[in-house]
Amino acid sequence: MKALQTIRSSRKLVTLVWILGLIILWECGAFYIEAVKRTPENVLPHLWQIIASVFSTKVISNGQTATQIVLTNAGATLLRAGYGFLIGMAGGFLLAILMKLSGIVEKVAFPYLMLIQMIPILGMAPIVLAITKDIGVSRIVIAAILTFYPVCTNTLAGLKSVEQEKLDLMYLCAANRYQVYWKTLIPTCIPFFFTGLKISAPMAITASILVDTLQGDGGLGCMLSQSLKHAMSIYVFWQIVFLSAFVGVASSWLMGLLERRFSPQKRLAARKGA
Amino acid sequence: MKHMTTMKRFSCAVLSAAMMLSLAACGSSSTGESSTTSNTASESSSSTDTSSSTATTTLSAEDVIKTAAEEGKVGNWGLGNEYEVQALLAKYGEPTTFLSQAFDMDGFDDDSITLASAMTYNELGLVKNSYDGGYDYGDTVGVIDMNDEGVAMLEDNIFCTQAFAEANPNTVKAFIYASLKGWEYACANPEEAAEIVYNYGSSVSSDHQAYMADEVKKLVETDTNGDAVTDYGKMDEDAMQQTLDLAKQYITLDDSTAASKLESLTLDDIRDTSYWEAATASTDGDFGTLEKTDVSIQLKWLPQAQFMGYYVALEKGYYSDAGLNVNIVAGGGDISETTAVYNGSVDFGVTWVSNLIAADAAGMGLTEVSQIFQRSGLVLVYKLANFS
Amino acid sequence: MKRNGSSSRFRQSITTVLYPLFFGILILVLWQTQALHAMLNIDPFVLPLPSRINSIIGESLPKIMTNVWATLIVAVAGLLLGSLFGYLIAIVATVFPKWGAGGLSIVTAFNAIPIVALAPVITNWTKDVSSDANIRSMVAKIIVVLLMCTASMSLNAYRGLTELRPFSQDLLESYAAGKFTIFRKLRLPNSVPYIFTALRVSVPLSVISALVSEYFAEYVIGVGRQIRENIVLGQYPTAWAYITVACLIGIVMYAVLIVCESILLRHRK
Repeated sequence: MKALQTIRSSRKLVTLVWILGLIILWECGAFYIEAVKRTPENVLPHLWQIIASVFSTKVISNGQTATQIVLTNAGATLLRAGYGFLIGMAGGFLLAILMKLSGIVEKVAFPYLMLIQMIPILGMAPIVLAITKDIGVSRIVIAAILTFYPVCTNTLAGLKSVEQEKLDLMYLCAANRYQVYWKTLIPTCIPFFFTGLKISAPMAITASILVDTLQGDGGLGCMLSQSLKHAMSIYVFWQIVFLSAFVGVASSWLMGLLERRFSPQKRLAARKGA
Repeated sequence: MKHMTTMKRFSCAVLSAAMMLSLAACGSSSTGESSTTSNTASESSSSTDTSSSTATTTLSAEDVIKTAAEEGKVGNWGLGNEYEVQALLAKYGEPTTFLSQAFDMDGFDDDSITLASAMTYNELGLVKNSYDGGYDYGDTVGVIDMNDEGVAMLEDNIFCTQAFAEANPNTVKAFIYASLKGWEYACANPEEAAEIVYNYGSSVSSDHQAYMADEVKKLVETDTNGDAVTDYGKMDEDAMQQTLDLAKQYITLDDSTAASKLESLTLDDIRDTSYWEAATASTDGDFGTLEKTDVSIQLKWLPQAQFMGYYVALEKGYYSDAGLNVNIVAGGGDISETTAVYNGSVDFGVTWVSNLIAADAAGMGLTEVSQIFQRSGLVLVYKLANFS
Repeated sequence: MKRNGSSSRFRQSITTVLYPLFFGILILVLWQTQALHAMLNIDPFVLPLPSRINSIIGESLPKIMTNVWATLIVAVAGLLLGSLFGYLIAIVATVFPKWGAGGLSIVTAFNAIPIVALAPVITNWTKDVSSDANIRSMVAKIIVVLLMCTASMSLNAYRGLTELRPFSQDLLESYAAGKFTIFRKLRLPNSVPYIFTALRVSVPLSVISALVSEYFAEYVIGVGRQIRENIVLGQYPTAWAYITVACLIGIVMYAVLIVCESILLRHRK
């Protein structure tokens, strides 16, 4: 019955139609694949087959059903994603401030930040592993490296977007450097910082899934590749695909929620509205 | 700040959409799963039998290889697994190129690869059998065995770095001793071994695990000529030499330093028999003070019966009896076992001899201390219908 | 920066190039002299010396170039098609705001699917495209890059098409300009800087996703595939030669983008 209530709002109706359209498209594809392929579930299973696998009580491996496998492994992966995200967030923010403080740092660091993004994780992993000597730490470090770029660039853009008039005003008030940052620059950059967070939160999750595959000891990435190698039911793979998309969107949404809570502009807007 | 609100709206919208999806899920969950009933592993015939019987009824192995090679439909996984296939192609005068095969048999199933690589204990079982993940081809497929074709290269071994072996000789001996004991028990009781592996977080279904245990037993107890092997883990000179010779021929390295190192490698650079000899000479498994008691071993692949010996040794307490506290690390990730052993994040590893040779050519200084699989488990599988 | 004359702007752009260059040379020197290895406590085997990487690039240049072309085609084609696709989505979302926003949210959701999951599925879906494994692999790889690059373009272009300067739309409407005119004269030009913002994100992304998609492709070719093969076989110097080449591809593509941007946007500001 809740569904009926949500339908009343038109924007949600729009999304619903979109989702329905995608479902129809998917199902058309699934019926076609089913007709021409011998193992359609490897290519494009019906959505209901995936959903049925979620509720299936069939033991797939190690005494667990498909859903149990996905959920237990999701814990490890999401925890790593969380750590990587926090480290990446802090690192990105601090580096952005550093870059704003010193033009030299900005000019030196910026091209290399981009370069690091282009080094394949496979090239980075052995080096990070050799430095940290621990696969778990390496995974978090790599997830952080892959995450912090959007935070850094967006925050920097925010710091630069402060109008000269505001800075002039601070100058007139004889504000010192610390006050200029604390009262003007940082509050202004917060919306940009959150834009960065919204981009990097799903990235942290995909990065965390990617680093799972470095070694075969659990995590969504491992299960994903095992399932793809047909070592276990292929539906584990499909469940992970949907779960990762869902968690990615949810994480971005969560950042939006936090933004409304902590961003000065948003709070102001909310008060005005009320 | 308009974009921020739009972002928020998107997220909300998708979230509610996902909720709708899960609501729909409850409605249609009654649809049953169309999984087929599993048949037991014993039903499938041994790979070598099939190969000899099919060779007489349909095209010869040579014709099959030539046909598939000329169509460009020979498949292999690459990443160091391809040398036997390349040697075989070269044997019949075909170019040594191949298609990159995914780690499933879909390409074989849809005929984009007509002559596909398969391990007797893994992919071949999936192709033939009908349990979960299987393709149920039964006896409608033929196989070409690398051992029969004379291009066999040795696969799963136990290795560590030369430096580790020299610094911890007693630990290495004790580890080999306990591991071989595990392999001995596993081969005597494959069903129980499969069960043990399954309980240690296996990556495959229990039916497939049982099939795998039976096939792996054959690889451990038969050599490349098809003769029975009683000394578990021995390093057969001829088979090792053949592996090294083929490796030198087919491993191509862009790095000229590594390439010339590869050319100069001898058997003594890649294996050390002394630890295995000491380990098998012992009757009680007492090798004096162990230099290191907490050791780890990284497998070449996901946890499955391919590695049942180590899991059995762990489960049955053979490792702890030998004074070792062993941690088994699953492989199958992008940090290969050679890299992991080299940089010291694990002490021992299981790899293919050809991979060890490539790593030593690069200068990793690894040495094999025991050879578990005595014959090649790699076959090329094809549908009989495609080659008649 | 108002007080800057043209000479100081020239000095600015010179330092923009020189500072990173000096830093790069410093790193290279530390790297070559193994001071970097001592700092990070790693050995030259895992992180080979620049001279060694360089000599391998020199030795096997023809083979490297074959792989570079394969990767470059995938990255550029995927980037262009993906950006085009993303821009079209943004246009649709602008013209039909009510329905388009939903489409944009779907695009964001797609972006959250990890590439390691996407690439094998796309490879599976494109099996019937061609009987030539090279061609169908190429198609699969381009689609993966396309999907990865769509989201950043569609979100940025949507902002560019809708976040107009205050009152500019009202002004045009007061001239009785039609929707199409507003689109052509106002929205389209307004979105150009946003396109470049999107491309700055997409260019590195297109390179990295081209590399990763090669891992899963049927046809064995490409810089990414070579990196993987060599890392797995423990051939670090060769792997690093390919990593260096991959970075160069990215740098060249980014440089081309910057040049295009400065030409197209030279009348602004």
